[in-house]
Amino acid sequence: MSFIEFKNVCKMYPGSKVNTVDNFNLNIEEKEFIAFVGPSGCGKSTTLRMIAGFEEITGGELYIDGKKVNDVAPRDRGIAMVFQNYALYPHMTVEKNIGYGLKNMKMPAAEIKKKVDWAIQILGLEEYRNRKPKNLSGGQRQRVALGRAIVKNQKLFLMDEPLSNLDAKLRVSMRTEISKLHRELGATTIYVTHDQVEAMTMADRIVIMKDGVIQQVGRPMELYDHPVNQFVAGFIGSPQMNFFDVTVEGSTVRFADGGHLILSGETVEKLRGHNGEMTLGIRGEDIKIVGHGEEKDKADRQTAVITDTEVMGNENNLYFTFGKSQAVARVSKYEIAQIGDQISFEFIPSKIHFFDKDTGVNYMEQ
Amino acid sequence: MFTKKQRRINWILVAVLLILSIFFLFPVIWMLANSFKPDAAITADMNSIAAFIPPAPGGNFFDNYVSIITDTNFLRYMANTLLYAAILIVLSVVVNGLAGYALAKIRFPFRDQWLMLIVMLLIVPTETVITIHFLIIAKAGLLNTIVGYILPLIVNPFNIFLFRQVFVSLPDDVYEAAQLDYCGPVKYFFTMVLPMSKTVVATVSVFTFLNVWNDYLWPSLVFTSSDLLTAQIGLNSITSNENTTMGQTLAVITLVTIPVIIIYSLFSKQIVEGVTSTGSKEG
Amino acid sequence: MKRKNSIMGMAFFGPALVLLTLFLFLPMLLTLGFSFTDYFALNPELTHFVGLENYINIFKDDLFVQSFLNTVKFVIIIVPLQCGGALLLALAINRAAHCKKYFKVAFFVPVVMSLAVVSTLWMQIYSPEGILNTLLAHIGIDTQPFIHSAGQALPSIAIMSVWQGVGYQMIIFLGGLQNINPALYEAAEMDHASAWQKFKDITLPELKPLCIFVFITVTIGAFRMLVQPMVMTGGGPDHSTYTIVYDIYETGTVNWEMGLASTMAIVFTIFVVILTIIQNTLTKDKEGRKHVHKKAKTD
Repeated sequence: MSFIEFKNVCKMYPGSKVNTVDNFNLNIEEKEFIAFVGPSGCGKSTTLRMIAGFEEITGGELYIDGKKVNDVAPRDRGIAMVFQNYALYPHMTVEKNIGYGLKNMKMPAAEIKKKVDWAIQILGLEEYRNRKPKNLSGGQRQRVALGRAIVKNQKLFLMDEPLSNLDAKLRVSMRTEISKLHRELGATTIYVTHDQVEAMTMADRIVIMKDGVIQQVGRPMELYDHPVNQFVAGFIGSPQMNFFDVTVEGSTVRFADGGHLILSGETVEKLRGHNGEMTLGIRGEDIKIVGHGEEKDKADRQTAVITDTEVMGNENNLYFTFGKSQAVARVSKYEIAQIGDQISFEFIPSKIHFFDKDTGVNYMEQ
Repeated sequence: MFTKKQRRINWILVAVLLILSIFFLFPVIWMLANSFKPDAAITADMNSIAAFIPPAPGGNFFDNYVSIITDTNFLRYMANTLLYAAILIVLSVVVNGLAGYALAKIRFPFRDQWLMLIVMLLIVPTETVITIHFLIIAKAGLLNTIVGYILPLIVNPFNIFLFRQVFVSLPDDVYEAAQLDYCGPVKYFFTMVLPMSKTVVATVSVFTFLNVWNDYLWPSLVFTSSDLLTAQIGLNSITSNENTTMGQTLAVITLVTIPVIIIYSLFSKQIVEGVTSTGSKEG
Repeated sequence: MKRKNSIMGMAFFGPALVLLTLFLFLPMLLTLGFSFTDYFALNPELTHFVGLENYINIFKDDLFVQSFLNTVKFVIIIVPLQCGGALLLALAINRAAHCKKYFKVAFFVPVVMSLAVVSTLWMQIYSPEGILNTLLAHIGIDTQPFIHSAGQALPSIAIMSVWQGVGYQMIIFLGGLQNINPALYEAAEMDHASAWQKFKDITLPELKPLCIFVFITVTIGAFRMLVQPMVMTGGGPDHSTYTIVYDIYETGTVNWEMGLASTMAIVFTIFVVILTIIQNTLTKDKEGRKHVHKKAKTD
């Protein structure tokens, strides 16, 4: 049995007619770092709060460590949680905040001190141990919240968008810190975020959700390279994957503006006979710039005029309109192009995805 | 910043206000100054500016106060009132606070209806029910008891409402975090909610104190035994005694006022906030 | 979880609910019930249902009618003086650049003093040989009887009440003035508004809900007049300072005629409730705008 098992878990709020979380099935192994990711309102936080016990499970069963916990009080589920707004006790010092749970567990004072000292040292909070939360910066508060979670030695950590209130730079450094903590402590961690970068960089496995339904579960690169549907493809990766409305006939792909592309035999095979209108998806880095200016000699070579450029430093994003859609190509910083330049490019054949126009299903991953 | 004209207006304004405030305060100044004088001096000074100036401190400077303290039970009455105020502050904060918390944060049946009822109760003047309170307390055989005096004063719809308004904006995640820290709801209320809401606790405490200290009608109904009297009722019984001199009368009312002034100077922020909040709630 | 919430909710709300029931719901129901009976607390067995008789009788009762008229007189004197005085003081203090803190304290001091203290103090001040008559003599005014004459007692008590209460409403107005968005005045300045125009077009409209609130609370407060005449004049001379609440109090707790007292209390409550409803309807439409305004300030 897995450490955590969801069996058809559902959540329906009173007064609502639809499930906020619908038939959630998932197994999480011990020591895993799992990220729940999705747009706001997708049910990821609700799911986390059902694990914590702050939301009632209205359907299905949830097991933690082999025990059904549907009706177990939050405190008895063996969890520690880090909240989005830190939820520190405002009238207690850093030290007291971290040790509060231990004190309530009736742990001897000496032992509490040892544990609190350990957490304070690990998190680099020595200077601030006697300060109150209002005198701490956002990052320091987040550390205290982490400290409060780690001292309790729980086997399961829940983190609800813990970095969303921090500025971009701090977010990056806290990301590594949390990953490091996870490696050192080895507690199973479930991490909720709307930021796919956090999920990609930290998680062993990602659960991507939309409208209360799991879209795909998998390792970060699995989701990146093999999205099962257009939603996952669009959600993971930045800039977003390019999508074009196309019509496929045999090995010919026709774009909305009349341009066309001939698919390789391998790709046609993967399409398994799907024909007609569908959506073609390709990531920006899989668009290969092959030259500047008009070059219409090859059938699979396309041309477009650059409408905008984004210089990122390490790479450049070139924006252009193609097949009546906005598209972006990610190129190396040595590829310099100006607005108005004409480029010709190729889609790397093995990286092309085709999605069903209505369901969004990725034909290539069936 | 100010133009010349504005500066002139400002000085006129300040001068007028200063003069006005002196006129306004003359009863208080007169009370203080003459509470240190024998009656003969009060009458003699009446015709001059000396009426507003305390006598030079000397041998019998505190005579009026000493005679009040030694010849009457007045200190006892003050101590009684302090005790009642202390009990009522604790009970008010706990009972009204718990109710306010329930109305703010716990989803129990008919919660919103209860809240509406409480808001409606704010309108009912205490005078409507005070005779019935008297009847109930009399029938229960609680006249002349501390319990009988205190019971009807504990719950106060306005305080419940005030607590509810403050508690409703407390973050829920702190409660959730506390749950994971093995802190039950009752412990949470006393060790988290109240300390996190110091301002409203202080406001309710201060106003409870002022109400208890200044209340006249209810204690005059409940207490007839002189051992239990509050300062206000004791004051009245002392000053209406024919043997009490004018100087002693002024000393008594000064004594009654001192604690209020101390409270006011310590908590003027809470008092002003409390007063302004009654206005801004309606505005 | 739902059951747990119900239990916890009632555990938290329960103590207050018991006391509310005992000392508010029950008394209100009893008052209403008694008002239709001739309930005499010393002899409750003889109680009869008398219908609306009490309601008719109290208005035939000369003393109640007089106490009612006295109360109205108190309201008529106190309300304009206290509301107007508070507003003027607040405007002046808000404008003054110096001694603000002192003024706020000075005019607020009487508020924290108790009714009994203030009444006792002013009895001395109003006495025929008292300091006020002495001061008046200096400017050539004859000795006035003040609270010792049927003609002057009521206005004397009313003036004293204004003196005691005005600081409270002053603080409320000051709070309201400080809540007015200064940008409004700056905008008006750009539009070449005069000081009077700024007052008329910004200050007054912004303060209007507060003015209504103050007007009604002062009216209700004056309606509840009791302790001052009780301590100073015992309702006299010749019942000239006897008020509704005084009548309720004496009828109920001295004469034990709970039936009659309850009827008076109901009539009194109806007046207070009507006043409150008037205030709520007059200020309601302002609320939405006020919220927007407050939010704009915090952003």
